[in-house]
Amino acid sequence: MKAARFDYVRATTVDVAVDALARGAVALAGGQSLVPLLNARSRRPEVVVDVSRLPLTGVEQDGSTLVLGALTRLRAAETSPVVRRAVPLLAEALTHVGHVSVRNRGTVGGSVAHADPAAELPAVFLALDAVFTARGPGGTREVDARDFFLGPYRTALAPDELLTDIRVPLPPPTARHGLAELSRRPNDLAITAVFTSVTLTDRVVTEARIAVAGAAPTPIRAHAAEELLRGQALTPEVLAGVADAAADATDPVDDVHAPAAYRRDMTAVLTRRALRQAVGG
Amino acid sequence: MTVAGGVIGARVSRAEDVRLLTGRAVFIDDLRPPGVLEAAILRSPHPHARIVRLDTTAAAAHPGVFAVVTGADVKSLVRRPQPLIWRLAPGGPETVAYPLAVDKVLYTGHGLAAVAAVDRATAEDALELIDVEYEPLPAVTTLEQALAPDAPRLHEDWPDNVAGRAVVAQGDVEAAFAGADVVLRETFRFARQWGASLETRGVVATWDPFTSHLDAWVNTQSPHLIRELFAEVLGLSVDKVRVRVPDIGGGFGSKSGFYGDQVVAAVLSRVSGRPVKFLEDRRESFVATVHAREQRIDVEVAARTDGTITGLRGTVHGVLGANFSTVGLSPCWTTAAIMTGPYAIPAVELDVVGVVTNKPPYGAYRGYGLPKANFVHEHVVEALARHLGLDPHEVRRRNFVTEFPYQSPVFVYDSGRYAECLDLCRDAVRRAGWADRVARARAEGAHMGIGYAFHNEVSAFAPSRIVNMSGLDHSGFDEAAVRIDSSGRVTVHTGQTSMGQGIHTALAQVAAHALDVPLDHVTVVSGDTDSAPYTGYGTAASRAAAVGGAAVLNAATRLRAKVLRIAAHVFEASPDDLEISDGVVSVKGVPGRSVTLAAIGDAAYRRPHGVLPDDEEPTLHEREVYDPVNVATAFGCTAVLASVDVETGAVELLGYLIAHDCGTMINPMIVEGQLQGGAAQAIGGALYERLAYDASGEALTRSFAEYLLPTAGVVPPFGINHMETPADHIPGGFKGAGEAGVIGGGAAIAHAVEDALAEFGVRITSLPITPPDLLAAIRAGAER
Ligand SMILES: Cc1cc2nc3c(=O)[nH]c(=O)nc-3n(C[C@H](O)[C@H](O)[C@H](O)COP(=O)(O)OP(=O)(O)OC[C@H]3O[C@@H](n4cnc5c(N)ncnc54)[C@H](O)[C@@H]3O)c2cc1C
Repeated sequence: MKAARFDYVRATTVDVAVDALARGAVALAGGQSLVPLLNARSRRPEVVVDVSRLPLTGVEQDGSTLVLGALTRLRAAETSPVVRRAVPLLAEALTHVGHVSVRNRGTVGGSVAHADPAAELPAVFLALDAVFTARGPGGTREVDARDFFLGPYRTALAPDELLTDIRVPLPPPTARHGLAELSRRPNDLAITAVFTSVTLTDRVVTEARIAVAGAAPTPIRAHAAEELLRGQALTPEVLAGVADAAADATDPVDDVHAPAAYRRDMTAVLTRRALRQAVGG
Repeated sequence: MTVAGGVIGARVSRAEDVRLLTGRAVFIDDLRPPGVLEAAILRSPHPHARIVRLDTTAAAAHPGVFAVVTGADVKSLVRRPQPLIWRLAPGGPETVAYPLAVDKVLYTGHGLAAVAAVDRATAEDALELIDVEYEPLPAVTTLEQALAPDAPRLHEDWPDNVAGRAVVAQGDVEAAFAGADVVLRETFRFARQWGASLETRGVVATWDPFTSHLDAWVNTQSPHLIRELFAEVLGLSVDKVRVRVPDIGGGFGSKSGFYGDQVVAAVLSRVSGRPVKFLEDRRESFVATVHAREQRIDVEVAARTDGTITGLRGTVHGVLGANFSTVGLSPCWTTAAIMTGPYAIPAVELDVVGVVTNKPPYGAYRGYGLPKANFVHEHVVEALARHLGLDPHEVRRRNFVTEFPYQSPVFVYDSGRYAECLDLCRDAVRRAGWADRVARARAEGAHMGIGYAFHNEVSAFAPSRIVNMSGLDHSGFDEAAVRIDSSGRVTVHTGQTSMGQGIHTALAQVAAHALDVPLDHVTVVSGDTDSAPYTGYGTAASRAAAVGGAAVLNAATRLRAKVLRIAAHVFEASPDDLEISDGVVSVKGVPGRSVTLAAIGDAAYRRPHGVLPDDEEPTLHEREVYDPVNVATAFGCTAVLASVDVETGAVELLGYLIAHDCGTMINPMIVEGQLQGGAAQAIGGALYERLAYDASGEALTRSFAEYLLPTAGVVPPFGINHMETPADHIPGGFKGAGEAGVIGGGAAIAHAVEDALAEFGVRITSLPITPPDLLAAIRAGAER
């Protein structure tokens, strides 16, 4: 398929981009999700505004926060020593996003704004309580990750808002992470994936984050499971209870790759694996 | 005749590769004749619907549009419906399909109108302006739905949805089952899959309005067949049709048939007066190219307690599409025809039942029915061994065909050393240390196993008269011409098609070997029906190297004789006393008495005086038509090492070994490439690929995000061990290798999974093996 006719504008400044969005344009970042949708004619904007050259790139640590420019390429974030040191869960999750060629073009902000329910980054940002900065005609606002993902491919961003950066509070230095992803082939979009960050004091969990991708209309936090973990040592019984609680938090659908029940079951399996990785490693 | 040593059998790198790897190949989409238009086809969103209204006025008026045709328009411009070339159920009903749907659409994606415009995007814009009113009808997509007594009928003039029945039989089946010690029964299901190639199918058609001549570039595996069928359908004499073949990015059988969109492009060119290109985009390739593999097979096997199989009976249900492809029921018939595989099963009775469903046509895909047959007979061997407490390899050995030629229910197997090939494979497994690996893994609580499958393959298709009698409206011979020019260089003309498999290199090796010239002095030319020799069946059915190679070998051998006669005249010697080496003819044992092929070539074309004998015709050119007296049976054994994650049902392949015999190998490297590519497709078929439909008939797999091909990450390294049992009846002793890799992989993978899951008693009877299904089987086993 060839895209329906559209006009193309390259934004030179954030203001130009926001102005275009306000007039109905759709933002093009790395194009890894948008271009196939344009070609399939499932999206047919009149104007596409290319934001990929805006200077919203780069990764830096600002005190106890990791700040990622929305237009940072996935591969740049993945290979950034800052990311690896400050938020290793994010660095590891990035290696699961598509293939290197996809990550060379795709952007961190694009992955967030696209909001595929099975995508890795939205779940990681949800696990880590990230804050998204959006710029619209009326100025800048911040949206917490937990308020950001509204449904499959639906976010709190208004059509005239541009995601400009993502701020991730650094997990404490003692935090450990675990990631377990099930996909049909390496680097496919996940069937289900679980991301955890756990802080232990004397083998007892003092803080736990569990997020699941691919098992609900949006990435989800397994709050009840986290609650079960806090104050506990990770015995097999605790692990089993936590895994079941995580599975209970899901609301999956059937698709061609797996029935809903399978995704639910896999959430439990992957939660156990991710937690074991976190405390074992 | 057999050959050994020399260029035949050498691992030379492929002459095609430099062009392919440096981007110098010219594919169908690279062809842009002046004024070319691009076509797009309007496709049905419904699996089954009556076309109530179809209005193309707005599309025709759209700027940039040059022609719009509907199914009815195309029907009025052709002489006959799409041809069926293989009738296996004589007297059975046949679908009457035109290039585009006329009154009813019969599957999601069925084309019903087409536009030619300045570019593809404009053509797609115009498609959106075509106004169609559909009256949706109930659809059938599964075998059971199609056979239900009250099933909606796809073809209203048929009594039901049965598209044909055939029988494959031999021996006394009643007696075999009456006297059996054991009878086992099983049902197998194979998902719909297709031969997806990197390059989609395309055509650039130019209709000459003054001479009514069609010039078509088609990325086809069967240029001569396509030319014949274009002529039949368009009502032209064959000389008015020229089919040319550019470089091809993979075919796998799915580019061998004659497609309606090829006719649509020709008609659009005729209507618009311009060249018209139609190239499937990736999305529509999922519905516009033939599907394959989908079958349900019910079998019963009779055996003695020592493991001897005495009888096999059952039914092969081909879950066909709504309309026949060019080859009709034949892939499903082939499953039955070779269901006994390498085993001497004396009594066989298999019904073949084709059933139409609201899905795209069913056609050729590498393996052509054989992977299913293999899955069945290898499952039978393993099940019998389990049932009788025997080693499955003992059961294999006990039943192997050992005396050749052997008359199986349909084919005559020419030669084989099956037991040795099985040993070769098992030795490779031993050397690889798999048993230790499995033991160690199991000790650590992992689930790892080893599986085997033995296959044989009917290749070198096929004796023309015999295949005609079997219902094939086409021949199986190959014509080749070999020429030495005035500089002594060699050109091979073949009807075979190069599609990435290395056939030019292989045929060059054959000619270089026969003529004793350096390989780089040989050029192979193919791909234009105006000049190429005729190929019967085309480049398919594992026949190019065997049948095409035999034709080249015979022509080149005769040409060599002529060269020697001329040289003998020069030396006043007997041709028997001469030899050719590296393009130089010399008198054996007399150093210094030599003449180059260039000198002989010069005499043959330009300056015959004094060199060319008086009774020798100028030029150095020989032509051969080779029609095999029999097919040739290649064979092989596949072993797979796999592990299963019992919590997720995910399968990982850790090792893959193949022992293989395709007679005389022309180029072992090319054979290995064929085996590896085929094995990758076997992996896809076993673990990933499924064209899925929902209950209403909607297609769920419309892109490579849903239809999963095996990627590099899931294909393990291959180890290949060769043996060579030449085909005595084929010059050169060649057998085919193109499909071998795909045949045994599914069964070997299934058996490795069963072995890994022995404690759960999991039995694999359907493909692909998906994690949710396998997990369910593991859980069911754990509960037992
Ligand atoms: C082969 C392949 C495999 C893939 N595998 C995975 C995978 O495993 N996991 C995964 O998560 N994804 C995967 N993807 C999807 C893809 O990697 C991401 O969705 C993608 O990188 C999104 O980023 P982008 O910059 O390419 O966004 P684009 O495609 O340019 O845009 C995506 C959407 O986000 C909007 N958008 C982009 N940037 C902004 C912004 N700054 N502000 C507001 N809106 C914006 C666009 O308007 C559009 O709607 C895969 C893609 C491909 C092609």
